[in-house]
Parts: sequence; C-alpha cells; structure tokens
Amino acid sequence: MNIDDIKKEFPIFSNKVHNNDLVYLDSANSSQKPLVVVDRIYDFYTKEFSNVGRSVHYLAVAATNLYENTRTSVQKYINAKDKNEIVFTKGATEAINLVASTFGQKYLKEGDEVLVTELEHHSNYVPWHYLRKSKGIKIEFSEVNENGEVTLESIEKKITKKTKIIAITHLSNVTGAILPVKEITKLAHSKGIPVLIDGCQSAPHLKLDMQDLGCDFYAISCHKMYGPTGLGILYAKKKWLEELPPYQGGGGMIGEVKKEDITYGDLPNKFEAGTMATAQVIAFNESIKFLNKIGIDNIIKHENELIEYGQELLRKNNSVKLIGNPKNKGAVLSFTIGNIHPHDIATILDEDGVAIRAGHHCCQILHEKLGLVATARASLGVYNTKEDLDKLNSSINKCKKIFE
Amino acid sequence: MNLKELYQEIILDHGKNPRNLRKTDNFNKDAKGYNPLCGDKVHIYLKLNENKKVEDISFEGQGCAISMASASIMTSLIKGKEEKEVKEIIKDFLEMIKEKESLNTKLLEEDEKTKLMCLSGVKQYPMRVKCATLSWHTLISAIDKSQNEINIKSKEI
Repeated sequence: MNIDDIKKEFPIFSNKVHNNDLVYLDSANSSQKPLVVVDRIYDFYTKEFSNVGRSVHYLAVAATNLYENTRTSVQKYINAKDKNEIVFTKGATEAINLVASTFGQKYLKEGDEVLVTELEHHSNYVPWHYLRKSKGIKIEFSEVNENGEVTLESIEKKITKKTKIIAITHLSNVTGAILPVKEITKLAHSKGIPVLIDGCQSAPHLKLDMQDLGCDFYAISCHKMYGPTGLGILYAKKKWLEELPPYQGGGGMIGEVKKEDITYGDLPNKFEAGTMATAQVIAFNESIKFLNKIGIDNIIKHENELIEYGQELLRKNNSVKLIGNPKNKGAVLSFTIGNIHPHDIATILDEDGVAIRAGHHCCQILHEKLGLVATARASLGVYNTKEDLDKLNSSINKCKKIFE
Repeated sequence: MNLKELYQEIILDHGKNPRNLRKTDNFNKDAKGYNPLCGDKVHIYLKLNENKKVEDISFEGQGCAISMASASIMTSLIKGKEEKEVKEIIKDFLEMIKEKESLNTKLLEEDEKTKLMCLSGVKQYPMRVKCATLSWHTLISAIDKSQNEINIKSKEI
C-alpha cells in the first residue's frame, strides 16, 4: 500500500467541511475509520449476526469464531504470549478501571502508594483516586520536566517501599513525550512492583511487543487505532488475570452458579461479563489487517517525517509556542498562539476545514503545571500529509490576523 | 454561517479589552462560574445599594474571546439597573441565545441590544454557546446566592 493513497481508504475525506477539504488533525482524540472497518460492521449485522459464546446454531458458531479470531489477531499484533491475555473492554478507560478496581480490592490497603505521572490522562488518575477514597491509599506523581518528559530518574525518585503499582502513560497526549516504559518496567520489577501502561496514544503509532516490554498491564483504545468506538483492550499477564477477582458479574463469565456459591469461568471469559461489543470486536480485526498491510515500520517512518515537518513549520511561525520539546516525540503537536484562547483558535481553524482539539485534553494536572488553562492540539494519523500541516499553518496565520 | 458573524469587531474589541475586568471594592454579592469542558473561569462581583440597584459590577476570569466579550458587554449593560430588571435582562438574553430571534426587553436601549445581538453568532456553534452564557448564569447565582460556584456543564444553556 502506497502511503500517499491511504487517504482514499477513508470515505470521510470525500466530504467537505464548510466547503473545504477536511484536514483532520484530531486523531489523538479519535481516528477516522477505513471503509473496510465500516463495511465489516455492516456485513456482520446484515449477513452474519448472532450473539457469541452461547448458542450452538450455525450463526452463533460462526460469530464466535470471528470474535475469537480478533483476539488472536490482537495477540499477534502486540506479541502477547497467550491469546487469553487479551481481554475486550468497552474502552481503555474501562481497562484501567478494571485493573484499579480489582487490583485495589485484592492488594491495596491504607497507606499503600500508587505511582502515576503528571502527564496522565484523567482516565489513568481518576480510577486510582477512587481507591484513595475507599481504601485510604496515596497517589504519588512523578514530575514532568521542562521538555514535557517524564524520565526514568523522576520515576525512581518517587518509588518507596510502599509503592504497590506504577501506572504510566506510554505516550503523552499533550506533549507527545514517549516514556522509557521498558526501562521503567525493568526498574519496577527489580523492586517487585507491577506496571500498568496506558497505551491509548502509543498503540496506533508505535510497534507493540508485550513480551519484550515485560509490563504487567497494557490498556488500548480501539477507536484511536482506526477501529470502532465502544471497544478497548486490556492486555494483562496471565498470572494477574488468574489472581485478580472478576470485575463485573453476569452472564458469560461464570463457571457454576448455585444458591450457596458461584465459580467463575476460564480466562478470558472471567472478565467479559454480558454481551460484548460483538460487531466492534469483529470489525476491529479489519483495523489490524489495515495496519499490518501498511506495516508499522512504514507508519512510524511516515509519522516521524510529518512530526518533524510540523514542528519545524510551527517553530518558524512567530508567536506560535509549541508545548513540550521531548527528545522522543509521538504524533502530537500542542501549541498556543500569543494570548488567543485555544477555543477561538479551534473555531477559526474549523472554518477552513482544519479539525483540531482545544482544551485541557483531560490532563488538568499537566495544564496546571504548565500554567495554562488550555492548549490547542493538532494530532496526526496515518492519513495525514505535509499538505495538511501546511494548511494548518496557513489557518494559524489567518487566526493571528483576526486577533492582531 | 460566516466566521465574521461570530467574531464581529465588537466581540474582538471587548474580548481584547474587556470592560470592568477588575474586582469591585466592598462588593456585597459574588459568585464563581466554571466550565469544566474548556477550563474557562469567571468570578462576578456585585455591589447593590439599599434600593437593590447595581452600583457596581465587575468580573475576573480567564476565557476565550466569546466568554470575555460576553462578560464585558453584560457588565456594562447591567450597571445602574435594579435587581428585578437585571433578572429580566438575563432571562431575555438567555432565551435569545437559546431560541428567540431577537431581544424583547424594554429595559435596554436599541444600541445596547445591537451590542448584545453580536453574541447571537454562537447559536450556529453549539459547543460555543456555553462560552457566551457562563457569565450570565454566574450573575444569576451571584444575585440569588443560591450556590457559590456554578458548573455550567450541569446547567441548561
């Protein structure tokens, strides 16, 4: 697949926004969907629909196989050791909540510490905050430096004898910093501390290898990976899934149910209660095929070129200030323009068909540290081009003109 | 919808140089407003005299051009009005932003209404309506003092 032709795979780009071509720079929020994924949902509902894992009729068997095929594809894509280490959730948020809730319930007590970073998205802070309320645990924050990075040293500084789990982002959705997660995991494991990685921003852009990384938990958001909404993935080492109590109770997750007691199902059913997002799981297999067809190495090369081009372009543009200057940077360009409020920037850019995000990006802790109420953020996907970034830059100039 | 209708000269002017952006000495009513979606904050200070007339009104805060302009225009129109009149103007403004085509109140001069109508451009931008209404909701809460801090996400526009 030619990287220049990728945009054609996404039907949304044939639509006009305010009579302009769509320049979609909000993929860190959610990515657009290739036609193959949309078609797969339609085909499943029109030709193959059934619930999975219960009935034994033809459709049920076929749907169950399709559902489990995605699990195997995900396992291969992230190089997990066992397909049962892949748990489907309703999103990465639920994946982190699952771990915080069950790990907290079983292993945490008053005074224990959970170590996060100042870069975390609210979804990797709020679930731990619940345990602060219910169990009296403490939450410690590793500091972000002036480049918008969290280093191995700043993690090490906050580890104490009471640290029971480290929960960190792989790639910041604001500064774009890629954290040294492999080194952090190694350090944590040397002290007997498990590690959860929020992989929402990294999964669509970086090569994932769970066995090499060695982490205990890894949360993925499928709708940011050119897949459907309503679906996330929790990767967890088998021993954790065996040891942790179930998260939600209901059909599909049980072994034997009696009036006196209940046993739970085998992995991964134990963590997949109720009817799951079946069509989304099945369609997500197409997202993985789409990514594999392009090849993650080509995606990385393409996006690195774009990010370098974009950074240079915005650095040259007077009064635009880039937020964060990490050495290892992912596909995110956050910025401010003089005193113009980011919401005004976003509305003005939108008029030209340039879709960016403005606000605190669910990272109020980080914005407070940066001394900013909000920032504007252009984030990249595999379909973006240098022309998109040129259009961003010229819309920024128009914005400056309106407010000068 | 044209961007020029949203960012009219008067909005840009009030956004860049907000009137009454300060803190009233000896205020006797105040309230804070917050929009958690974008982080915009406003703090309204009000000084009512013994006849419940607005002797002074001011605000502090951070926000986009629309929210700053809205607070700026609001405070300049409200000064000198009685509490009852203030409530009527707020109601009229919020109804206009929500659904009505024009302002009906007799309490404002035509040129004042024209100024306020400049904010009506947000109607085309549902995500931005809250920017225009934050300071108005906060003023209601200052007058009623029913809640100290209003959170616009939980309020209807």
